[in-house]
Amino acid sequence: MKNFAFVIEDDPDLSDIFSKALQAAGFEVESIMDGEVAQKRLQEVVPKVIVLDIHLPHVDGITLLKQIHAMDSLKDTKIIMATADNVQAEFYRDQVTIAMVKPISFSQLRDISARLI
Amino acid sequence: MTLSNKFSILVNRFLDVPSIDPDDSRRRKILNVILAFVGIAALFLLVISPILSIIRGISFSVDAGIYITAISLLTGTVVLIFINRTLPGWVASTLFLILLMVVFYFSDTPEQLVDGRSLFVFTIPIIMASMLLRSTASFLIAALVSVELYIISAYAQLPPLNFVPVTVFFMIAAVSWLSSRSLEQTLKELREINKNLDGLVEQKTNDLALSLSRELVLAGRNRTILESIADGVVVFDIYGKAIQINAALSTLLGIPYNDLAETTINDLTRSKSLNPKSQGILMGLLASPEKHLSSHRIEWDKKTLSISSAQVFDDLNAAVGTVAVFRDFTREADVEKMKSTFVAMISHELRTPLNGILGYAEMFKEAVYGPVNEKQANMSERIMKNAQRLIGLLNDLLDQAQIEAGKLAVKSEAVHPKELLENLHGTMDKIASDKNLALISTLDPSLPETIKGDNSRLQQILINLVNNAIKFTDNGSIKTNISRPNLKEWSIEVTDTGSGIPENEIQHIFETFRQVDGTITRQHGGFGLGLSIVKQLVELMSGEIKVKSVVGSGSTFTVILPLEISK
Repeated sequence: MKNFAFVIEDDPDLSDIFSKALQAAGFEVESIMDGEVAQKRLQEVVPKVIVLDIHLPHVDGITLLKQIHAMDSLKDTKIIMATADNVQAEFYRDQVTIAMVKPISFSQLRDISARLI
Repeated sequence: MTLSNKFSILVNRFLDVPSIDPDDSRRRKILNVILAFVGIAALFLLVISPILSIIRGISFSVDAGIYITAISLLTGTVVLIFINRTLPGWVASTLFLILLMVVFYFSDTPEQLVDGRSLFVFTIPIIMASMLLRSTASFLIAALVSVELYIISAYAQLPPLNFVPVTVFFMIAAVSWLSSRSLEQTLKELREINKNLDGLVEQKTNDLALSLSRELVLAGRNRTILESIADGVVVFDIYGKAIQINAALSTLLGIPYNDLAETTINDLTRSKSLNPKSQGILMGLLASPEKHLSSHRIEWDKKTLSISSAQVFDDLNAAVGTVAVFRDFTREADVEKMKSTFVAMISHELRTPLNGILGYAEMFKEAVYGPVNEKQANMSERIMKNAQRLIGLLNDLLDQAQIEAGKLAVKSEAVHPKELLENLHGTMDKIASDKNLALISTLDPSLPETIKGDNSRLQQILINLVNNAIKFTDNGSIKTNISRPNLKEWSIEVTDTGSGIPENEIQHIFETFRQVDGTITRQHGGFGLGLSIVKQLVELMSGEIKVKSVVGSGSTFTVILPLEISK
């Protein structure tokens, strides 16, 4: 498996920043801005790391998270949750590899994801 | 009504005389009594004399004198009783005395009357005169009696009148005058005393009536005030029974007035309109008002009520009950809910663009797209710093909104005081050194390595206090000390060498959106939410915060928290 990562984030600028951070950490990144698209792509590709936003069009991040946990193929995939709500971050802390509260620093994300390779 | 009662009423009616002068009335009553006895005696004579005549076997005509005397006495008595009731008192009395003197004349032979066995009977009218007329009248009667005896002796051609009995008559007159006079005097004094007493009683009664009516007016006024208050008011006695309620409470709680008037603390707190949490709050407020100084909110059916309670004290400062005021807070609570939802939403929504600013500035600084010069790096750093500040403000606003909405709960997890200080330095060292301030921290070794608390909130308290200290200090140092003042508590102390807080401002520094002298808000940055949040967090942790400050030389903020050792 290549060092493949998904950045699932609907804001184009944040998607760009997160992608650049992961690229800087050495990942090959595919950025996805729609929950439904993410669902489809997760059936086809097994990424090593997923940066997952919660508010997404069509299918939200929480639903995606449940589906990811239900998929045997993704059991080794690391999930970085990116949320603007610290209460939510607290709540899902145990279900993800790392829960980060926005604003997420470029260098922080780069350094953290680098450790996941 | 018993027979004796009827008899006593009859006697009273007989004795009663139409007189308002107490002395006159008394004399006329005495006369009535005497007349009654004389009448009875005359009747007795009339009955007993014929019987005696029959027994002795003599003719009735022998005792004719007795019959005449008895009949005339009886007639005289009836006439006098009538006169005593109609004419002035002295008329009947005088006539009675004259009647006595006349009757006595016929009662014995002239010899016996003037100088024998019947001489003493003449003392009777003398004594009676002072009782029935006036005290001095006895002298007049004594003189009249003397004249009568003189005439009798002269008419019967007896030896000249013996002056010894005449002297005795006058002496008796003197004695009865004295006794009668002293009696009258005493009665007069008694009447005077009674009159004063009556006056006193009347005055006291008037005073009492006045104060009662005043109290009534006051109570009525209080009642009116109570009823016109829009808030629900209830007063409980020390046994927890409602002793006063107003109509607003009945409307507010949706309980009929009459049911509510008989309610108790127990009834009210067990109402089905309350959820368990509200029941607990209400019980606490009503059962121990001394522990709840601020108002609290409960949910009553679909309403939000704000309730404050206080103990009621009497004049001697003894607690005699509890008063509670219920205010409809539904609208305000809805507005607050909307506000906090709005703030939460906005602060979330703002995070995304802020994250963009921060991320791109950082990428620029990190030279993701090629090298940047020093000035460019510096600029991107400033962009980042300002973005961070904005995020800090957003966090404060969000915290404040959550605290206000009662949504913020503190956790109980393992806390390492050493880590709190390490993280503090990690965050604040650069900010302090940028202002050339020394950030020094000490940790009391007696404090356990691990204690219980809310890591992120304790860190927030520490950072906020130090951040505040740095803001207001231009040179010198910021000292942070975590220690254990006693077995049950631990404390965070932040001391600065800054501008200090004027005494009159200390009470305001923890208020929301407040800084010492509103004008310096801009100079020091921030909304002034930091300290307010610290205080509210500390209170959520059942702790307290104190400030000591000297203008010009600095301030010390001390947070004292209950110590729970993590196992």
